[in-house]
Amino acid sequence: MKIEIKNIQKEFKTIGRRSVNVLRDINLEMKDGEFFVLLGPSGCGKSTLLNIIAGLENPTGGKLVFDNKVVASGNKNECISPKERNVAMVFQTYALYPHLSVYENIAFPLRIAKMDKAEIDKQVRKSAEILHITNHIDSKPSELSGGERQRVAIARAIVRKPRALLFDEPLSNLDAQLRTATRIELKKLQRELGITTVYVTHDQVEAMTLGDRVAVLKDGFVQQVDSAINLYEKPANKFVAGFIGFPNMNLFDVEVLREQEKLYIQFEKDRFYFDNSSVKAGVKYCMGIRPADIEVASDNENILKGKIDTMELLGKEVLLYVSSNNMEFSIFTHKKGFKENQEISFRFDQSKIHFFEK
Amino acid sequence: MNEEKIKNLLIISTACFMVLFSLLPFAYMVLTSINAAPDFLAKGWNLTFENYKNVLGVESLHFLDYLKNSIIISFISSVATVFVASLAAYAITRLEMKGKIFILLFVLGISMFPQVSMIGYLFKIMVYFGFINAYPALIFPYIAWILPLSLWILVSYFSQIPRDLDKAAMVDGCSKFQILFKVLFPVALPGIFSTALLSFIFAFNEFIFALILTTDYHSRTIPVGIALFEGLHGQVPWGQIMAASTITMLPILALTLIFQKHIIGGLTKGAVKG
Ligand SMILES: Nc1ncnc2c1ncn2[C@@H]1O[C@H](COP(=O)(O)OP(=O)(O)OP(=O)(O)O)[C@@H](O)[C@H]1O
Ligand SMILES: [Mg+2]
Repeated sequence: MKIEIKNIQKEFKTIGRRSVNVLRDINLEMKDGEFFVLLGPSGCGKSTLLNIIAGLENPTGGKLVFDNKVVASGNKNECISPKERNVAMVFQTYALYPHLSVYENIAFPLRIAKMDKAEIDKQVRKSAEILHITNHIDSKPSELSGGERQRVAIARAIVRKPRALLFDEPLSNLDAQLRTATRIELKKLQRELGITTVYVTHDQVEAMTLGDRVAVLKDGFVQQVDSAINLYEKPANKFVAGFIGFPNMNLFDVEVLREQEKLYIQFEKDRFYFDNSSVKAGVKYCMGIRPADIEVASDNENILKGKIDTMELLGKEVLLYVSSNNMEFSIFTHKKGFKENQEISFRFDQSKIHFFEK
Repeated sequence: MNEEKIKNLLIISTACFMVLFSLLPFAYMVLTSINAAPDFLAKGWNLTFENYKNVLGVESLHFLDYLKNSIIISFISSVATVFVASLAAYAITRLEMKGKIFILLFVLGISMFPQVSMIGYLFKIMVYFGFINAYPALIFPYIAWILPLSLWILVSYFSQIPRDLDKAAMVDGCSKFQILFKVLFPVALPGIFSTALLSFIFAFNEFIFALILTTDYHSRTIPVGIALFEGLHGQVPWGQIMAASTITMLPILALTLIFQKHIIGGLTKGAVKG
């Protein structure tokens, strides 16, 4: 199913009568069968947007369209109930019904839909098998581990063949190892089912590995929608640049100047010459460079000088925190033999510098 | 002695003290009921079941009528109370409305009127409706009197049930009523049980309303019945009173034992983990 989100707005009236504009103007389109990820910092309205898609909240403006049919809009009369939308949702807290067995939990949506008994049994067993929980089918949710509960929740979501699957940070209560394993399975499962999936997370690794496309949300607006690799390589603005990628991108306010034909950036002491046709001289930019795109130099040409404050060993590579020109740079390198307080010189990979308008 | 041991000792001695303190009167009651003379400590032990025989067997004491009245009235009151309180608790915890806290405080305030201050008007009303010495005369006031407490208990219980459960049910296709009856009520069942039991006990033990609004065994309840016991021979019949009290205790004891699992679950396991 294709989901179109057009100019969706959501304003909450709080008790003190102060209203909060959580979503200001959201425009997105999720293609049929796509694995779409909503990524953003805590409190940016990801869950709110998901709830609007599910029909748990109504938007205060804009339109939500499922396959060319309006299912919600600023006008309450056009909002149809979750039941009629036939979407399924998996929650961070799993939200299993504690009084029902695993079997009955999975069967619940089918029973509400008054499906015939034999058919329910068939569907429940099939979903349980897909999620490998057949052994636990008679247990109560309280007798299961976190990972197993999450599988039950997913089984309950897929059992009635929904038109869309919605996930709200489903893995964040699992430990790191299980999270990775479940992530991979989830991706596979979604491919097999081919159901349009909207997945909310604040974890960029999850977003990057799962999503066919990722939308970055902040301040009630979509900051960028793109494939994971494009978000990393071509961030549209300073926020996305800083939010995506680990270790975090170095970001500085700089002024670009020109000396004859060559552009350069004037740091406090050092100058860095570079070549970039899209940048104008005499303009202030925010410059971004990823730690991995800074090279520790052994020669003296076009370099910045600095001193290592601290360093972190990350497996084979090392992350240096270098102070230079009254600024903090982080540099990610696989060279070895650095010491704290050591003087080093380094240079940027010219083609990897990002300039964001201020 | 290490800290752990001291702690255990304190816990055990406190527990023993509390159990002794609350059980001693009961033991005295039971012992009196099975002795021929009430002052058995002075006159010596004289085991007999005569008191029980009298209480249960002598028609004119109407003990079994009182018991029946009490059970019926308390049962109807507690079921009705819990039903209304559950719906109200659902509305207060789950629906959007303004001034919820004021409703709760208002209800609490009402429950603080002393019973004595209402009894006169209550009597007039019941006379007007012709309910005096009939079950409704007690059932209606009991419902009103127990409702605030039930409501408060159930509100705290319902608000501990995670909201995600409602959302999940809604996405799974439930209407508001289905959420209530298929998810929230079953999940809150231990709480509802213990509230119902508490309401039952409250109604079962109530005295003043029952004293004023009933006149004879057609609707008189146990507490009043026992208090007004005249006995077969004129003097205060301690043995029979205690025998009656002991028998009265049994329904409550039975209920508590049967629903023990639910009650303890209700009191301690409020947080329902998904
Ligand atoms: N019912 C509500 N009434 C008032 N404000 C609300 C309500 N629900 C959410 N908000 C506000 O909307 C904002 C976004 O909430 P939301 O739950 O969508 O964030 P989120 O992006 O899912 O964050 P997280 O990653 O922490 O789950 C928050 O600032 C929150 O305070
Ligand atoms: Mg959220």
